Amino acid sequence: MRNAKRLLTAGGIAVALAGAVMTGVALRAAEAKVPDPTSVVMIVNRDSNDIAFMDIKTKKIVGKTFLGNNVNPHMVMMSPDGRYVVTGGTRANKAYIIDARTLQLVKIIPVDIAPEHLAFSPDGRWYYQGNPEGDSISVIDMVSLTKIKTIPGLVEPLNVTFSPDGAKAYVGNYGAHWVGVIDVRRHELLKKIQIAEVPGVAKLDPQKYLGEIKGINIAAPTNDGRWLYAADGDLGVVGVIDPREDKVVKVIRVGKNPWRIYMSHDGRYAITPDNGDQTISIIDLAANKVAATLEAGENMTGVNFAAGKAFVISSTSGFVYVYDMKTLRPAGRLKIGTNIQLETATTDTADQKLYLADSTENAVVIIDAKTEAVEKIFNVGLFPWGTHIMDSKDNYCH
Amino acid sequence: MPAMRMNASPDRTVRSKADGTFAFDQVPAGRYVLQADAPGLARSSQEIAVPSAQTFAIALEPLEVPGGETLPVAVAAAPGVDTQALLDRIKVLEQRIFDLESSTVLSEPVTRVRRIEVWVDKNGNEYDHEVPGARKAVTYQRERVYRRENINEKLEEALSDAEKRNVKIGVSAATVTQMSNRTEGDGTTTRGHAYELASADLFFTAGLAQNTVFFADVVGLTGSPPDAEIPSATLLNSYTARLVRQNELNLREAWVRTEVFSQRLALVAGRLDLTNYFDHNAAANDETTQFISDALVNNPTLGLAVNGAGAAAVFDPKNGVNFKVGVQQSNPNATNLSQSIYSLAEAGYVARPPTLGEGSYRIWYRWNNSSDTAQKAFGVSIDQKLLPTLTVFGRYGSADAETGRDHFYSAGIQIQHGWVFNPLDTWGIGYAETDTALRRNEKLAEGYYNFRLTERLRLSLHLQRVMDSGGEASTFGYFLPGVRLQASF
Repeated sequence: MRNAKRLLTAGGIAVALAGAVMTGVALRAAEAKVPDPTSVVMIVNRDSNDIAFMDIKTKKIVGKTFLGNNVNPHMVMMSPDGRYVVTGGTRANKAYIIDARTLQLVKIIPVDIAPEHLAFSPDGRWYYQGNPEGDSISVIDMVSLTKIKTIPGLVEPLNVTFSPDGAKAYVGNYGAHWVGVIDVRRHELLKKIQIAEVPGVAKLDPQKYLGEIKGINIAAPTNDGRWLYAADGDLGVVGVIDPREDKVVKVIRVGKNPWRIYMSHDGRYAITPDNGDQTISIIDLAANKVAATLEAGENMTGVNFAAGKAFVISSTSGFVYVYDMKTLRPAGRLKIGTNIQLETATTDTADQKLYLADSTENAVVIIDAKTEAVEKIFNVGLFPWGTHIMDSKDNYCH
Repeated sequence: MPAMRMNASPDRTVRSKADGTFAFDQVPAGRYVLQADAPGLARSSQEIAVPSAQTFAIALEPLEVPGGETLPVAVAAAPGVDTQALLDRIKVLEQRIFDLESSTVLSEPVTRVRRIEVWVDKNGNEYDHEVPGARKAVTYQRERVYRRENINEKLEEALSDAEKRNVKIGVSAATVTQMSNRTEGDGTTTRGHAYELASADLFFTAGLAQNTVFFADVVGLTGSPPDAEIPSATLLNSYTARLVRQNELNLREAWVRTEVFSQRLALVAGRLDLTNYFDHNAAANDETTQFISDALVNNPTLGLAVNGAGAAAVFDPKNGVNFKVGVQQSNPNATNLSQSIYSLAEAGYVARPPTLGEGSYRIWYRWNNSSDTAQKAFGVSIDQKLLPTLTVFGRYGSADAETGRDHFYSAGIQIQHGWVFNPLDTWGIGYAETDTALRRNEKLAEGYYNFRLTERLRLSLHLQRVMDSGGEASTFGYFLPGVRLQASF
């Protein structure tokens, strides 16, 4: 798509709508505020209902795109071609498409209930918007900027990942213990992969298994796309999926209530933050076994990798825990603040700096991964919920 | 559109004709995405192939942003709006009403209080930015934002807030039943006897201030443990250490803990059990879920027989190295705070040897003023993961005694996350040997299997083997099978 098609834009024009005629109006094309889509950090501000764009070099907000009152955007992402920025408005049940150069909101598309996490197909043609409360995924065509289909049959779908060839998509169902496989050609649910069986002893513990379910957040691919790893919160395991046959080839027990799995940039390890016992489990991807289980913090919401370290965000403690990924040992923790709430972070493409959303301070915290120096950029918007940098290896949400 | 200028790209423009049509000529063959933008209208985007003689229609729909700036919409300014446009608009509005009806939740704007920094001048005037002569101050202010919050979120928030303010109560209750089968030594008085000890701990936790909590543990025990009849060097039921008086509630711990220096240093003071802070072995330190023999729960050379008044400081920068110091009175009959003061220091290190999992290595030193000669002890404590399922542990301790030195060591394995019936079950095998200065020797082995029945309920089976010999007491040996039912919530 990126190379196959070029763009013809009639920018800044007034066009007749269904036969209406406008005369004598000449409008200039909208000004480009972000000439280079890789030069900005996108900040999704949940409570000011906007997406803010911060220049990476100057650390200044270069623009904000307001989405509408009570939209409450959840996750933001740049399209692979750098042309669009998209987000799901959780309380508006709509997807929002922003022109990445002009930062103008160009399209609002009704989707299903409570859209949160999203993903693009590798060719950028399809934007899959997960709707956890609608138990569906909305498929949006990025050429026509229209919703072409709603894929039903999922159970609280959180994150979507595509196979490298774009033929299949894998959906983590947080309300179940299986990963959904979607045929991207037909946009249909093809298969359900059970990660592990609920143990028989569960019959004695109906409160645990019939109460709130904590299933699968994401089926995360290895860097080469050869395997998928999916952590199940209630079962405390990570299932290794062979996408060639779409079957689980190994189940690895990790700590209690793993939130999800995060892949290190060198492809050697994966980390699950285990919120049930406040540990992290580091999985050796070559051996498919837990290489280390280390003490961590409470309410962990994300893991970022940079400068040979892993940075684990402990949302409510105000700390970021640091681990040396060479020795697999703890390497201290960074105090970001007191009585604050941290959300998620993205890492720059050079693996040097982290951009962490600090929601209760309306700030983005920049962490130098090497020196561990911390700098806060305030007034980025109300309740920043997440950040995103184009082509970052740590683009995720919670 | 007459006289309309359009930008095809940064370097190409075309002018529309009188009827509003426009054309780009000399466009290289290929596939393109044709987009059209206009203020207040959603983008039109469609794929086209060039060359093409086809005329492409562009229709733009209103882009409405609730609360957003109202932009001039083309249709509004257009004279002579036609019927079709109005019908299309009605269709859009109907769809919006449908969406609204299907997704509306009981909600209200979120109101919250935020901590903000302000500048206050000498007249008390407050500014949100720095001004000459004003000093920086912290205050709190209400903030209201456009965020829908449904009733579930409101309830969860209220319950969470209430929970933070309340005193939290926890219960840990256990019943341990053991049988004795004497295999060595004279006498039949304890052969085939059954023992049972029931224990219930009530925990109270409350937040007092920033990073400061109060904790109390009230324990009640009843029953007869084997230690009442079998004079082993170490306790055969570690719960016995809690047994002060039958059928009475006793205050086991009551302390205040605070964290300072960016929470790197924790200070604890009150009535303590210092074994919670020192020699804390991951595989053999908990009589409620692991071994039941006291020699596989604690290191006897630590010398802390009972809880008492004291204080502890733990420096933990979370980099795998930690240091602890503590003092505690270990004599319930002491008449002043200076008596039987035990001082402990420990250094711990989290290692990850090549090809192995993580391990914790600790070395400790103790000195006390309880006697002139038995003042010092030292020990090490290790737990190391060999496999994700297999942890080995070991302890060694050596302590001054009146007539020489007491020596103690223990070792064993713990299995979890595999080689079990149910996923969260654990089991272990341990061995401990105690040599006292009085030439008394005790060899003790224990195996246990802990069934994790539910989140709150565990059932474990134990088999102990103890052999005591030497010294002035008689030689004896026992097998002790046992069952422990443990609930915590």
